[in-house]
Amino acid sequence: MFCRDAVKLVAELNQTEDIKPFNEAVFRQVLEEVQSLFEENSKDVNTITEDNTAPKNTLLVRHYAMNRNKRCLLTYLFHRMRRLRQARWELGSIIPPEISKNLIKPEAQWFHNYNKSLATYMRTIGEDGLNILNDIQPPKSLYIEVRCIQDYGRLEFDGQSVMLKKNTYHLLPRSECESLIRQGYLEHVSS
Amino acid sequence: MFVKDLTKDFYQVVAGKQCLILVNFDVDGICASKILQSLFKNDNVVYTLVPVQGVKDMKSAYDDNAEDIEYVVLVNCGGNVDLIEILQPEETVTFFILDSHRPYDLKNVYNEKQIKLLGDPTLEEAIPEYDVVFNDDSSDEEDEEEFSDNEEESAQNRRLRQHEARINKKIKRREWEEKREEALFHYEQLSYYAKSSAVIAYEMSWQMSRDNLDMVWWAIIGSTEQAILNKVESSTSVLESGNLQSHVSRLTHARGGNIDKQQLSAIKVTYDKDLRLALYRHWTVEDSLKHSLPTAVALRLWSIKGEHRMRELLAEMGLPLCQSKQKFTSMDLTLRNEFKDMIEKLSDKYKIRSIVSGDFTMQYGYRFKYCATDIVYAMLAILESTGRDRPPQLCFLEASDCLSRMKKEILEKGIEKAKIMLGYVFKAAQSLLELKQVTNAGNFLYVVISEGMLHHHLFAHPHMLLMLAQFILRAYAESTRSRKTATLPLVASATFSEEEGTCLIVGVPPVLEEQPRSFFGKAFSQAAENTNSFIDQDYFDVTMARLKSEDRPKFFDALSALLQ
Repeated sequence: MFCRDAVKLVAELNQTEDIKPFNEAVFRQVLEEVQSLFEENSKDVNTITEDNTAPKNTLLVRHYAMNRNKRCLLTYLFHRMRRLRQARWELGSIIPPEISKNLIKPEAQWFHNYNKSLATYMRTIGEDGLNILNDIQPPKSLYIEVRCIQDYGRLEFDGQSVMLKKNTYHLLPRSECESLIRQGYLEHVSS
Repeated sequence: MFVKDLTKDFYQVVAGKQCLILVNFDVDGICASKILQSLFKNDNVVYTLVPVQGVKDMKSAYDDNAEDIEYVVLVNCGGNVDLIEILQPEETVTFFILDSHRPYDLKNVYNEKQIKLLGDPTLEEAIPEYDVVFNDDSSDEEDEEEFSDNEEESAQNRRLRQHEARINKKIKRREWEEKREEALFHYEQLSYYAKSSAVIAYEMSWQMSRDNLDMVWWAIIGSTEQAILNKVESSTSVLESGNLQSHVSRLTHARGGNIDKQQLSAIKVTYDKDLRLALYRHWTVEDSLKHSLPTAVALRLWSIKGEHRMRELLAEMGLPLCQSKQKFTSMDLTLRNEFKDMIEKLSDKYKIRSIVSGDFTMQYGYRFKYCATDIVYAMLAILESTGRDRPPQLCFLEASDCLSRMKKEILEKGIEKAKIMLGYVFKAAQSLLELKQVTNAGNFLYVVISEGMLHHHLFAHPHMLLMLAQFILRAYAESTRSRKTATLPLVASATFSEEEGTCLIVGVPPVLEEQPRSFFGKAFSQAAENTNSFIDQDYFDVTMARLKSEDRPKFFDALSALLQ
């Protein structure tokens, strides 16, 4: 049956939201299928004469199968790329090894280029660039409650300053403490 | 200086600035700070909050965080000590004190610039007048000299007059000093608790029309703690709960519609008559009867006879023993529904006094249903659960998480801890009473929790010791039957730190005393002074102190002499 493998690829996408290892074997099979369909078509196209129009229908069926295969392959590639892009926005410019080992070379290359374009774009916004990856969703408040879990020292912001000592609680501007939370000095206290 | 209009003179001053909040380790303080925190959060007031356990803690927390800070809010701490003396602050710093410990230090009361006491001065009791306590006129001696120079008199006459004036002055001064001593003694003699800080903070938010059900719930918990730990008279706490109830119904009403018709998933706070049995909704009936003060004391449950008496009570109630050992929620529905009435009916016969009292219940969704007392016990248990891997600050955070509706697991854990805590208190009281460890020193009772006792280290926590002391005093007064014991106060002591050789002492006022006021704060320091023993009155509640263990016997002797 035509296109069975191609549908397998699409079904694989549906199974999970993660980026799975690139299914090269099936991908190649589909390509081969396309190739053989094309060859058979080009052979049969010469046999069509005025009175023998029978192969015409066969040609059409093969042609549609080819197109369908192509669409499925493109879908597969496109969705992987979309997931990769999402990973870039969620996880940052360095993708974790469990994703990167599942990529094929052109994908890695694409990711690299995407990173580059994104960085270039971000540099053009405002005077000294803007990290548009922060606050993808509008924050509920500009200030958050945090607990200090390691001595940090003095934190200065907007003309104010706060001493961050272990086991004290603070209400601080979100923008100031985001990096400190990532570094493990502060902990967000959700209420 | 008192600040009466909290909105104008406190909140609007602090709003928009950076401030430091120091909170004492108690439930009321946590509730009050929680209300302040949520107000500050909405107004984007940058704050730093540091929990403090005692005067020394407060000093170091202030020193660490005070840089660049203009406003310091002290919650349940600092009112009864001379702040300026202890903290040595810069002149630009303003302190706002929200403290339920009384009496206020007079230097705080009369400091016009830097110290603002949040509260209504008319509600305060008999604060001595400024002139009685402080003497401003130290310069008048010279004035008089000048004045007499101008007169033309014979030298002898003048000398005589000056001499007379000086003597008069001395007499006056001595009189003033005597009067001052007397006034100070009257003022400082008794320590007690005033209105809960959480309620004051809540009322401030109400005046700003920014109150909500959560806040009133926190205020309820703050004032419930005062009632549970006998910090205020029962009549006061009843009045307070009436006041809070009106706030609750106003807020519930404001959200519209009939309470019964509102969705079950909404927050609902209700006020109802309830049994004063600790945690009984989350425990078994038997355990709860055993570990609650009113029943345990009335039935004398620490003895074997008491155990029989409890069985009898259960039998008379018609509650099968196997049901009473069952979790309350798993008991038969009919028994569960009748439980309250059954106990109430039999309370007279068994002389269980004041078993029924009003209590607030908070319901949120289907499974979140707790009464205020449950939460107070859970918070106390968490606060006191410090250990090697649990620094006090972590306990503070967890205790304040109990107030959040979203963190049910922590609250559940706290309730489990509270059960264990109450169990330990009961067991300790039982063994102390059975071994007759309560000593009558003539005009007070004392009990020493020895190091040989099981879990003695738990009683190094002030609240645990306080609960134990109150339990023992009630139980002792009940069991001796002599009228006199009911008029005696009790001092309990437990090892605080073995390495340093210090012990914790806590004084509890007598059972018969209507007002839970205690003269122990003053008496402790006086006794320590008389015996030259080292006493560390670091706690903000002055009825608790730390003492060198070796000084303890002579300290008790001095205390007994002093109380004569």
